[in-house]
Amino acid sequence: QVSVINTVDTSHEDMIHDAQMDYYGTRLATCSSDRSVKIFDVRNGGQILIADLRGHEGPVWQVAWAHPMYGNILASCSYDRKVIIWKEENGTWEKTYEYTGHDSSVNSVCWAPHDYGLILACGSSDGAISLLSYTGDGQWEVKKISNAHTIGCNAVSWAPAVVPGSLIEQPSGQKPNYVKRFASGGCDNLVKIWKEEDGQWKEEQKLEAHSDWVRDVAWAPSIGLPTSTIASCSQDGRVFIWTCDDASGNSWSPKLLHKFNDVVWHVSWSITANILAVSGGDNKVTLWKESVDGLWACISDVNKGQGGVSAVTEGQQNEQ
Amino acid sequence: QAAVPSQVVPGADPSARQLCFAWGPAEVLVCETLFGRRGESPSRGEGGPGRALLPGTLTAYVAGTGEGGSSSSRLFVVRKDQDIYIQTLRKLFNESHGIFIGLQRSEEELAGKSRKAQLVQVSKNYRSVIRACMEDMHQAAILTRDPALHSQYSTQVSILSAMELIWNLCEILFVEAAAAGPLLLRLLDWVRLHVCDVDNMVHEVLSSENPSKHELFWNVVDVFVLQGRMDEARHLLSKEASANPTSVNMYKILDDLMKKMPVPSLGNTQTLTEIELKWQHWHEECQRYLQDGTFASNSHMESICKILLGDEDAILEKKDLMTTWYHFLVTRLLYSHPTVKPMELRMDLFLGGESSPEPLDTILMAAFEFEMHQVIKECSIALSNWWFVAHLTDLLDHCKLLQSHNLYFGSNMREFLLLEYASGLFSHHSLWQLGVDYFDHCPEYGRVYLELHIERIPLNTEQKALKVLRICEQRQMHEQVRSICKIMAMKALRNNRLGSALSWSIRAKDAAFATLISDRFLKDYCESGCFSDLDLIDNLGPSMLLSDRLTFLGKYREFHRLYGEKRFSEAAKLLLMLMTAHIAPCSFWMTLLTDALPLLEQKEVIFSAEQTYELMRCLEDLTAGKSDKQKFQDDDVETMKVEMLRLALARNLARVIVKEGTLEGS
Repeated sequence: QVSVINTVDTSHEDMIHDAQMDYYGTRLATCSSDRSVKIFDVRNGGQILIADLRGHEGPVWQVAWAHPMYGNILASCSYDRKVIIWKEENGTWEKTYEYTGHDSSVNSVCWAPHDYGLILACGSSDGAISLLSYTGDGQWEVKKISNAHTIGCNAVSWAPAVVPGSLIEQPSGQKPNYVKRFASGGCDNLVKIWKEEDGQWKEEQKLEAHSDWVRDVAWAPSIGLPTSTIASCSQDGRVFIWTCDDASGNSWSPKLLHKFNDVVWHVSWSITANILAVSGGDNKVTLWKESVDGLWACISDVNKGQGGVSAVTEGQQNEQ
Repeated sequence: QAAVPSQVVPGADPSARQLCFAWGPAEVLVCETLFGRRGESPSRGEGGPGRALLPGTLTAYVAGTGEGGSSSSRLFVVRKDQDIYIQTLRKLFNESHGIFIGLQRSEEELAGKSRKAQLVQVSKNYRSVIRACMEDMHQAAILTRDPALHSQYSTQVSILSAMELIWNLCEILFVEAAAAGPLLLRLLDWVRLHVCDVDNMVHEVLSSENPSKHELFWNVVDVFVLQGRMDEARHLLSKEASANPTSVNMYKILDDLMKKMPVPSLGNTQTLTEIELKWQHWHEECQRYLQDGTFASNSHMESICKILLGDEDAILEKKDLMTTWYHFLVTRLLYSHPTVKPMELRMDLFLGGESSPEPLDTILMAAFEFEMHQVIKECSIALSNWWFVAHLTDLLDHCKLLQSHNLYFGSNMREFLLLEYASGLFSHHSLWQLGVDYFDHCPEYGRVYLELHIERIPLNTEQKALKVLRICEQRQMHEQVRSICKIMAMKALRNNRLGSALSWSIRAKDAAFATLISDRFLKDYCESGCFSDLDLIDNLGPSMLLSDRLTFLGKYREFHRLYGEKRFSEAAKLLLMLMTAHIAPCSFWMTLLTDALPLLEQKEVIFSAEQTYELMRCLEDLTAGKSDKQKFQDDDVETMKVEMLRLALARNLARVIVKEGTLEGS
């Protein structure tokens, strides 16, 4: 039983491509083919337009909120090859940085764990991944991984910050030695894991299982287990759950969550990583949970409006 | 395979659309979109599928198409009906929280009977909270004029009632788990308490002038017999006897049989064999009377005798008086052999072939079959919140009744359910505080779940932030403490509350931020000539050492204070030290030197010769450090300042040389 408790009229003049809540669920950012990024205050079921940000010259594909400790900061990426970082200063939202280093549409942006500082990963159709790091005083440092994926990169997702030996409390003020990693998905059907070593980004792993373009990747939040988990979805209709048991990140094994009948566009984890939401071309959003015996089961299914009950149930292991 | 629950967002466009979504801290955002566009060349306004996403278990924003339908611009905020938002259930959550905590902290050392008694009491406490809530809800239903609300409250009342029913049964079967005899008594109590449909009828007959003449008289007698209320049944029958002298004999015999029925008593001192023998004897006696045709002329009494004998058909005939299959079950138990054998539920007998069990029936069935895990599972499915299963399972776990099943999320069933329940609480603006305690009692994942959830609590007010902070500090969640302090510092800075920002960054031990804020303070000072938040800066204490800039700020302010208190030589010393010890940033040296001017121009000589030399050196370092270009750019004011300083320093030097060279008294 669901009820509509509010209707937000975004007044976007064209298709909405992404909508993201901020950290606390108090603000909503939306972006659209109408080239604008809008920010709403949605507290207490209200909807107040705070900002209508113009700056992109093409459809805006994604928005991402930075951690509140850095202030109110939002990143957006667009078909116009630009990544724009917006900041709220003295009550108004303004463009604080514009990155034009890509030769093609930028498809995905993702902020790194706040522990690393203010770092944004951007994946583009030109096959490269850029990492923008804020160095202070309005300055951003750029590192580029060229040819990360042939034909194009569709998604980037950061691994949660885990310090090796993180059980030990670091003396205050000392920056722990984080091992920075993120995952990317591309048109080469691959999921890749990147690791920073000596200030350089290197390809650490190549995860092969998909037979068509990888559309999205999502690294699950950490709940303290030594395992790492990544979800990936693809044009081939499959969603895989990749797990790595050892801390060194060497052996990843895929488990097929489900094979859908159509392209799967988007996967995303809940905060405590116990539910995976999958959005497919079959016009449904399904929610999945891992059961006792390690199998993934669909716990809910959102339909496009015709009601009825779906027959999609247990994740079938060996459907290939 | 069970069908998967499907959610539809009312109002969203039913035509083929793709759904885009994102998780919020307690919600899911949904909007209509066209995924395929990404990476390709889009054309504006091209009609196409939009997406409407509906959240499965969370609040979601759904974009639908606006009227006229060419593009999607509306977002629907959709939320799954969550119990935590129901005001009247607040008491349930709050009070059960207290009971839960009490249970966790209770004496584990108590063994055997006392421990069991303690656990039973906890169970009773939970049930009384449910009942209190039911009462409130019932009152609310009566008082409201809004039909929708009335309906909602009434539904809640029935749900709570069902919960109490189930919990009560679980308490009897699992928590108290008495021996056969006392168990039966408990079950009878349970039936009497919960099968209320006949209460009106009973009351009507009893309060009528001449009960035995009432048309429903025998129904009521039957009810008493079916519920094992022998004394009441006999009392009623005696009225019938006095009204009908002809059936006195029959009555006397039946009365006697009913009186002699071996009833399990709580303080049973008989051995099992003794009980069995007694019962056997009595059963045979009833049998004899029946077969003799003693009751042949009175079908009512005959049927009662058959019931006493446990005749299933006779009992089943009274289906309408029992109203539920579990009443039927308990009645059969009562009139069957005392050592309670596993009894078939025979729901089919009661319900008839066509109708299928309701969720409540399924749950109760599982309980009667002692399938605890099944009960929990069925309850999880049937109820819309985790409250019930979380608390019940926790209690059962304390009774040491649950085997540990290792689940991926949550190390065992108890923890899994508590984690789910507590997580749900976090989306509520005040109930989240209860959630903290629940997480505390989840040894495996409680802490990390708390860490993940507590970061998402909106820190709307300073008060709330402090509350959250206290919780984190108590649990040594240092990362979260730092994070929260940084967030608050940033907020304060954005609102130009420098003092607050500084306090927060000190608390966060954030040197970089402290430096930033100190610079702001200094900048403000340069522009306005005075400091804000003097109290704070004056009382920095050791935290001054967090960052060099902060130290400078503190010391600089100290300099001003000393000057204000006319402690000139101390002030002078400090001022000099700030430069020579490189505490002051180079950019500030000019200001410091300018601050030295009034000290140089005092009537009394303040700076010693050595100090004056030092000052001169500082000035030269400063000016030498400038490139020619910079010197060229210096405006007249700058040049004049330098000149004035040089002059003042030279004059001071002259005076001090004389002073120091002069012998005292000569």
